[in-house]
Amino acid sequence: MAQVSIGSLGDFADGELTRVEADGTALCVVRVGDRVHAICDDCPHAEASLSEGDFLADDMAVECPLHGSAFNVETGEPDCPPATEAVRVYPVTVEGDDVLVDV
Amino acid sequence: MGIALIAGAGMAGRACALTLRRVGWDGEIVLVGDEVTHPYDRPPLSKSVIVGTADMDKVVKPAPETYAQDRIDLRLGTRVEAVDAAARTAALSDGTSVAWDAFVLATGCAPRQLPIPGLERAHRITRMDEALALQALLAQGPQRLAIIGGGFIGMEAATAAVAHGHTATVLEAAPEPMARPLGREVAAHVLRWAQARGVDVRAGVAVESVAEAGVVLAGGEEVPADIVIAAVGQAPRLELAEALGCEIADGGVRVDAGLCTSVEGVWAIGDIAAFPSPWADEERIRVEHAAVAIGHGQVAAERIALGEGLYEDLPTFWSDQGDLTLNVVGVPRPDDEIVWRGDTETPACTAFYVRDGRMRAAMSVGDMKTLRGVRKLFAAGVEPPPAVLADPDTDLAALAAAG
Repeated sequence: MAQVSIGSLGDFADGELTRVEADGTALCVVRVGDRVHAICDDCPHAEASLSEGDFLADDMAVECPLHGSAFNVETGEPDCPPATEAVRVYPVTVEGDDVLVDV
Repeated sequence: MGIALIAGAGMAGRACALTLRRVGWDGEIVLVGDEVTHPYDRPPLSKSVIVGTADMDKVVKPAPETYAQDRIDLRLGTRVEAVDAAARTAALSDGTSVAWDAFVLATGCAPRQLPIPGLERAHRITRMDEALALQALLAQGPQRLAIIGGGFIGMEAATAAVAHGHTATVLEAAPEPMARPLGREVAAHVLRWAQARGVDVRAGVAVESVAEAGVVLAGGEEVPADIVIAAVGQAPRLELAEALGCEIADGGVRVDAGLCTSVEGVWAIGDIAAFPSPWADEERIRVEHAAVAIGHGQVAAERIALGEGLYEDLPTFWSDQGDLTLNVVGVPRPDDEIVWRGDTETPACTAFYVRDGRMRAAMSVGDMKTLRGVRKLFAAGVEPPPAVLADPDTDLAALAAAG
């Protein structure tokens, strides 16, 4: 695991999904208040970029733009079919203004 | 514990094997598949695989080494040839014999054979090797495709090919493609969307033969083509179930909600299973779609390893057609009343399938918010009247939450 800076807190608008490349890994990143979450950007079900979907704040989940499974940003688990596998979750720490991801 | 034998390494069989180990089954797992490719996701075959955009590491999954790590004895290029229900043994085509304690039938479907002269010239897209053969031809430059059969597979292949610079003519015997799974009214819109994307659809035509230069229709008209694809449907493979003495019903192997057949120690999952569903009026349904196959595999594994688990998921399937994705939840019937919400032109809309005044299914395209609301309504058991469903200003998720 390497800790990689993916920018400053101000780079991420609250509740908006952003695709970020960190050390060759495509991440779907979302900021919720002062916390930032990162999951793998590839939907484990089919060929979709999760960052092109929607963030569902009530469920703390990222909804796949193609088939609608929503992945919890803390556990990676999908809430409904067609996805059946969890998406990988990457630990994020915010140090001062710096957003660091373990990839 | 003992030996779990799984016949069929498609999406259902793969899910069953992987889940068995995950839920603590410590016995042997023998997974038998007649293809030579490691188990893979089948839905991309008719879409990204044929046009060459698929990331094969994400289609063929999990990674091949997973099977050895999970102590799954994966026998590729192998079939179960014969079974003895009394002795609980199976003879495999690799010459070995397996004495099973649990036998999972995940044999899927075989492509339908139609008495059309020359049909053997046509490509199929039911297996990976077939899809890769087609991919190699499409990679040579723009091709003229004639696709016999306007079901989901045919329409997906046509829309994918057209989006990648090929031309495609779909030849469908019925008045509307996809009318059987979606109903005529919804199917007519799906057809129109495909046509707007450049697919030539000839509905209500009969194919006479497949010739060197294309497809010959009844009456003699020839549809010229460089490549002919047959996507004319499939039928469940029931030979092993019949040999084991499993009860056959509703076109499939009759199972209970735990996917157990009428023969103790034998399960049937995926395409071949005729299963009870709390979401259907019918006594039993059969579903030939990926999400159900995987769910069946998982539940059967829990049953075998833990003795518990019921398959009660809301049936769901999808069809990617070029830039459009149709998402269907519930169990639609062709004669359901259709209530629309949203804009069918863009399209960004949802069709609700209403029976006896109740929503029984929905087909959503370009409208994720409504799709999510529908799933929440089903989960909560909330049934708003059709007029409320149709009103684009109603928040379906909020209605579900309010109960």
